[in-house]
Amino acid sequence: MKYDVTVIGSGPGGYVAAIRCAQLGLKTAIIEKYNVLGGTCLNVGCIPSKALLDSSEHFHNAAHAFQTHGIELSNLQVNMQQMIKRKGEVVKSNNDGIAYLMKKNKIDTYYGLGSFVSKNKIKVTGTDGNVQEIETDKTIIATGSKPASLPFLPVDKKRIITSTEALELTEVPKHLIVIGGGVIGLELGSVYARLGAKVTVVEYLDTIIPTMDRALSKELQRVLKKTLGFEFFFNHKVTGATNNGETVTVTAENPKGETLTFEGDYVLVSIGRKPYTEGLGLENAGVQMGERGMIAVNDHMETNVPGIYAIGDVVRGAMLAHKAEEEGVLVAEEIVGQKPHINYNLIPGVVYTWPEVAGVGFTEEQLKEQGRAYKSGSFPFKASGRAKASGDTDGFVKVLADKETDEILGVHMIGPRIADLVAEAVVAMEFRASAEDVARMSHAHPTYAEAIKEACLAATENRAIHI
Amino acid sequence: MSLEVKVPAVGESITEVTIANWLKKDGDRVERDEVIAELESDKATFELPAEAAGILHIVAQQGDTIEVGAVICEIDQEGAAPSPVTPAAQETAPTGGAQASNAGEAVEMKVPTVGESITEVTIANWLKKDGDHVERDEVIAELESDKATFELPAEAAGTLEIVAQQGDTIEIGATICRIMPGAGTVQANAQAAAKQEAATQQAAAAQPAAAPSGAQTYASGTPSPAAGKILAEKGVNPADVQGSGRDGRITKEDAQNAQGRPAQPEARPAAANAPAQLAATGNQQTASTGDRQQRREKMSSLRRTVARRLVQVKNDTAMLTTFNEVDMKPIMDIRAKYKDKFKEKHEVGLGFMSFFTKACTVALQEWPAVNAQIDGNDMIFNNFCDISIAVSSPKGLVVPVIRNAEELTLDGIEKEVVRLAKKARDGKLSIEEMTGGTFTITNGGVFGSMMSTPIINAPQSAILGMHNIVQRPVAVNGQVEIRPMMYLALSYDHRIIDGRESVSFLVRVKELLEDPMRLLLGV
Repeated sequence: MKYDVTVIGSGPGGYVAAIRCAQLGLKTAIIEKYNVLGGTCLNVGCIPSKALLDSSEHFHNAAHAFQTHGIELSNLQVNMQQMIKRKGEVVKSNNDGIAYLMKKNKIDTYYGLGSFVSKNKIKVTGTDGNVQEIETDKTIIATGSKPASLPFLPVDKKRIITSTEALELTEVPKHLIVIGGGVIGLELGSVYARLGAKVTVVEYLDTIIPTMDRALSKELQRVLKKTLGFEFFFNHKVTGATNNGETVTVTAENPKGETLTFEGDYVLVSIGRKPYTEGLGLENAGVQMGERGMIAVNDHMETNVPGIYAIGDVVRGAMLAHKAEEEGVLVAEEIVGQKPHINYNLIPGVVYTWPEVAGVGFTEEQLKEQGRAYKSGSFPFKASGRAKASGDTDGFVKVLADKETDEILGVHMIGPRIADLVAEAVVAMEFRASAEDVARMSHAHPTYAEAIKEACLAATENRAIHI
Repeated sequence: MSLEVKVPAVGESITEVTIANWLKKDGDRVERDEVIAELESDKATFELPAEAAGILHIVAQQGDTIEVGAVICEIDQEGAAPSPVTPAAQETAPTGGAQASNAGEAVEMKVPTVGESITEVTIANWLKKDGDHVERDEVIAELESDKATFELPAEAAGTLEIVAQQGDTIEIGATICRIMPGAGTVQANAQAAAKQEAATQQAAAAQPAAAPSGAQTYASGTPSPAAGKILAEKGVNPADVQGSGRDGRITKEDAQNAQGRPAQPEARPAAANAPAQLAATGNQQTASTGDRQQRREKMSSLRRTVARRLVQVKNDTAMLTTFNEVDMKPIMDIRAKYKDKFKEKHEVGLGFMSFFTKACTVALQEWPAVNAQIDGNDMIFNNFCDISIAVSSPKGLVVPVIRNAEELTLDGIEKEVVRLAKKARDGKLSIEEMTGGTFTITNGGVFGSMMSTPIINAPQSAILGMHNIVQRPVAVNGQVEIRPMMYLALSYDHRIIDGRESVSFLVRVKELLEDPMRLLLGV
């Protein structure tokens, strides 16, 4: 077969790129190594983790919040099998959804390992060993990433696990040791902490979620300690882990150089993810790699080989599904000669803990580093009528605006449902709204979104109404 | 509410009109656009349509001569109601008393009649923006016809509502804009707006964060995400787009309406550009290092007309050119000798143009076919010599006419040439001054042309091309002498002029110029 475009990888970057190509009239194929579409995000990432986060949050509320609401339960129990089964159903229905979208857009789907034979020829090796060859004019590499591991700490997938295994546990750990205080470690740590596990986070740096505004990491750290009993060890360098059969021992070095030992029954290695290009045969097409295993691309996501593009986790930038999606659309449109643009500064970052954490634009630390004159306005959910009603009073919204022009430069939030609310901040910032602009827009009452308006009022000239 | 009707500007050279005839009586009810009077200028007559419906009050009487812009009559719009109800009146009557600002009807401004041969005009420039407040008689636009440009004064005070856009070519009588009576509530005129802005700025100073909408801010000119993509594809710099969004942000619609200009050389590296070119719709350019900007602008109405006519002449005539040369020494000697005296007596310089014009008129009368023209299956012979002179003006090539040049003395011709050339330079030639003509003289010599083949100025049949004067060795009475020589070219329409006539005409012109005594003696 001969295609205008072949996409390798069917994650949110790949399948979105394929659909956009098809919409633009290009004959498109998509190759997926596994026997289900959707990539990491759908199968072992965003979607299943959200399913478990929601399930575990229900349990946590039932155990801790219901009583205050006047609901009494007895014999509250976790049915881990059912929880994992339901997660599987959520994933399955999304798999089917993407398969339907491929069909609807007349995209040919190939299951198997895609690898370059030459610049315009790709071999697909199925799990049954069956080999097909397809010809293509353009290729979009969207092979994503895999959990990274430490060389001295091999993952055995039993006691020493990655996020993939953490989504399939058949029991609730008694003590989960999380290596790495990033998004994945905190989300999956939250899942099991809510279900009753003791969670210890060992972090090499001095903070959790280090890429986000410091005010957010501080507040999240406080809330996780308070509500879920998280233990944090910062500036600790993990030196090893041993599977003792029923337990696991983790050793780490504290800032003073002393060695500490942590005893638990599971250790989650969540130190980040690395680009995945194995078996792609990039050398056969002459595609050059960049630093740290990434594929090097220019601003148009094109590799050094004209006609071969790469998007998502396999290239530079944040490893986020929505970033990959934007890049997929961009490449499809570039291929037909359009001139799209991505404002990387306005790709929001989100953490699905409870309270949720989200931010877009510059952090306060970045503005300080730039030496930019800015002003800041905050509004705590403690003062929100809506938050009081639901009982979710932890967190705040912080708006950073230019001191002279009042243009919003960053919005950083921690609180209930703010993963959804950050979209308002993105819209405002894409249109370069000022804090007062947002403050002058009606926000429905009572909603969590009012906190954004109030924070904007505070940023404008410290005139929040409800505090 | 009463609307004053003023004498419209009907042409650049016309400063006053005479009221030839009132077609309506004082106190009559008139409908909008109904012809109420016939006006007469020294060049033409034209009709005066009513600018609104209502009761007519005549100010200037029949036979009066009044200046352009003077009040000619008044139309009482309030009085419209009691008359037989018309659709137009229906609109105003119910609101007449209730809302003062809506009492008047919108004045629909149409393209005025500017000359007999002109059927359409191009809007060269709107001097006021849509929604601006305009004062009556304030110039709101510049119109351009084939032959001249003229200004369009507002017929009433109110808020301008533009109908025909800049660059549009519209027919005489077509609606060009509307003026809504009553002060513009949203937008005051420029001065008031400036004041307002100053006031807002003061307010803003007191209240630092109050960003007045519509003012220039840090966000002005920011394209929305979709707008940014469209502009990038069109190759339009956002700085060249007027944003209509809040605080001048560029909306998707603004981007869609933005005029695409040939893309400036892009900063993108060529390799990066390659994929984008697969199906690119825009201009493709091969890699090149130098600055390669192009500029695209609309042809003016005048330019378009010139272009069309020149091609038409080439296609419709059997044009060819005959050449000769003339020894300019005798005329130069005469000039040298009498230049000062001539200037003293006639207050105009003695140039070559008068000699050439005079020589042509003599030769034209001897060879009438050269002074004739084809009209369908007929030939029209003229017993007068109206000599068109090609003049380069800021607006382009114009060809004013020296009437009955055969009757003029040398100083008379010189004076006429000076007068017309000055008007051409100032863009003040009237249409009448450019129409007609039986023969054309063009002088490419002033720009240094040695030899050329001019194109006939249709419907004329011949054109004489003058060139530069060059010192050349020539044989005079068996001796080589250095003489100031000029080549002459005569392009002519072979359908009406035979070779014998054209060549003989040109030889005759040469003879007359080389021996100007013949002009005096008529031999």
